[in-house]
Amino acid sequence: MSASVEQSPVWISATGCITAFGSAAETHAAMLAGQRALALQPVLGSAGGDPVPLALVPGRSLDETVPPNWIHALMPLAQSVPEAPWGTARFPVFITSSNFGVGSLYAFQQTKHAEHLCYGTPFATVEWMRQKFGWGANVAVLSHACVSAHLGLLLATRAFQTGWAERALVFSFDFVSPFVGGGFHALKILNHEFPAPYAARATGSIGLGDGAAFAVLEKTRPTPGEAFQLNAQSLYNEMHHFTANRADGAGFAACLDPVREFAGDRRVWVKGHGTGTLEAGRLEAETLARLFPGAPLVSWKGSIGHTLGSCGLVELALAAESLRTGKVPGTIGAAGPFFSDQVRTEPFAAGDYDAVLLTSNAFGGAHAACLLSHG
Amino acid sequence: MVERYLQVLRTDAPGLEDIATTRQRLAGAFPRNATRRMTQLGLLLGGVLQEITLRDDDVVVYCSVYAESRALEDFLVSFPSASPTLFQTSIHPSALQQVLISRQQSVREVFPHTGRSQLVAHALRAAVLNDAPRVILCGGEERGSWLLERGAASDDAFAFAAVLTREPADAMASVRLSLTDDEDGAFGLPEFFLALHQRQPIERDIAPGLHLSLSWT
Repeated sequence: MSASVEQSPVWISATGCITAFGSAAETHAAMLAGQRALALQPVLGSAGGDPVPLALVPGRSLDETVPPNWIHALMPLAQSVPEAPWGTARFPVFITSSNFGVGSLYAFQQTKHAEHLCYGTPFATVEWMRQKFGWGANVAVLSHACVSAHLGLLLATRAFQTGWAERALVFSFDFVSPFVGGGFHALKILNHEFPAPYAARATGSIGLGDGAAFAVLEKTRPTPGEAFQLNAQSLYNEMHHFTANRADGAGFAACLDPVREFAGDRRVWVKGHGTGTLEAGRLEAETLARLFPGAPLVSWKGSIGHTLGSCGLVELALAAESLRTGKVPGTIGAAGPFFSDQVRTEPFAAGDYDAVLLTSNAFGGAHAACLLSHG
Repeated sequence: MVERYLQVLRTDAPGLEDIATTRQRLAGAFPRNATRRMTQLGLLLGGVLQEITLRDDDVVVYCSVYAESRALEDFLVSFPSASPTLFQTSIHPSALQQVLISRQQSVREVFPHTGRSQLVAHALRAAVLNDAPRVILCGGEERGSWLLERGAASDDAFAFAAVLTREPADAMASVRLSLTDDEDGAFGLPEFFLALHQRQPIERDIAPGLHLSLSWT
């Protein structure tokens, strides 16, 4: 197997996110304090079902509404995106999600209220959002489960290389619904246990969280102001099994190897995928320990939950906040023994490192990784 | 302007064919017993990809507006005892994963697109924005049932797969994407499929700032 790395550096001039804790700054502070937003709730909302760990944005119910109630959380985030003629020819937008408004189809099936159908397909959801946000029609829509956000970052980066973009906006979102909760519960990985990423324990479990994020990409370093550099990006798709990875971890290595080569002697810390499942967590932790020996490894999904298709960008925004403040939250909700002795549960100083490696994984053995540094 | 060359094209337009007939017709495209749980879109996609030997360093760009409508319908109906199989089968880009997993074919980069009016433009843009020697551009739809009655699924079934290269030798067609200052432009997937299926030339704005020229040799 082989993989290559996108080495064209690109600058991130602005980024932000929302989670169940609030903004990137509020989420980062809560995670530094070791807080967990996940709480046990019925998997099907008011229809009941087993209690499972969910982290919804404040004031939002799991029950679907018309229009979808998550728009109230998304609007302030969209309004915080720096102004530009987004969605016009030279200012492309890349929207990524795993679920879009599919919860509305679940609501239609349950209630037979046709109004829900207006938000049920990806294009209908994105068109509605685009008009609410005042963006033009140049909005690409990508969906590759939990690596979706990384695809938007990579394609936005490449749009600069051909001169097809002056600036680019990547916008990712996923909000929990009974549809997705019921699906993961059926797979038995969303259960009554809280996630404990990378912990070697008897039962694997994940938690699901609301999340949305954005990043504004620029070809050259913006001045004045703070910026982050996306140094390298890598993808790899095992296509071995829908819900399992190759047993030897080769898929993880195929994605990470070229990033390691690019990183060279840089001192890195790692924000891993770390959902709380056992086999994928073990393969990920062991591969990272082998390829990046000594690099501290954290996962934040034990706190904010797995924000699915938005996780790559939500966690990038939180990593940027860590670089900005100099403090990296540890892995929350987990205690040893771990699959790797590089797992950190306590906060540590970002200043001891040159860059952060951000990884995400998805159904079908999809892998994504990128290297982020403070410009 | 960026130009690529279409070396291989396969299309399938089964129209109203039901999934059982599709499964029977395309059984030879898959390993034994692999088709049992495949969706119609997965079967159609596997059929058009059958004669294309994928390589690890290929980039795959996949596009579908509605994707696995039937699996989605069945998953929704399965509540409150949600089906784990239908859940994973309903997730984009399931059809492509069904095919590549059945072939145990890993690939470097996969860019699954959805959307509607600019779907073709953005899939083509992704297909040319990389340094890979080959790009597989593929996609399709399956015909929905109760979601179709509500306007939330495709009313047609089709699939296509195209191999794009940087080298013009022996090409069937050239694909040119160029920048324009026009802020209009749209091009739907069914329309694009029809042009490929019938080997029709294309000359039009397909998204804000993007113009497509498709010329057959």
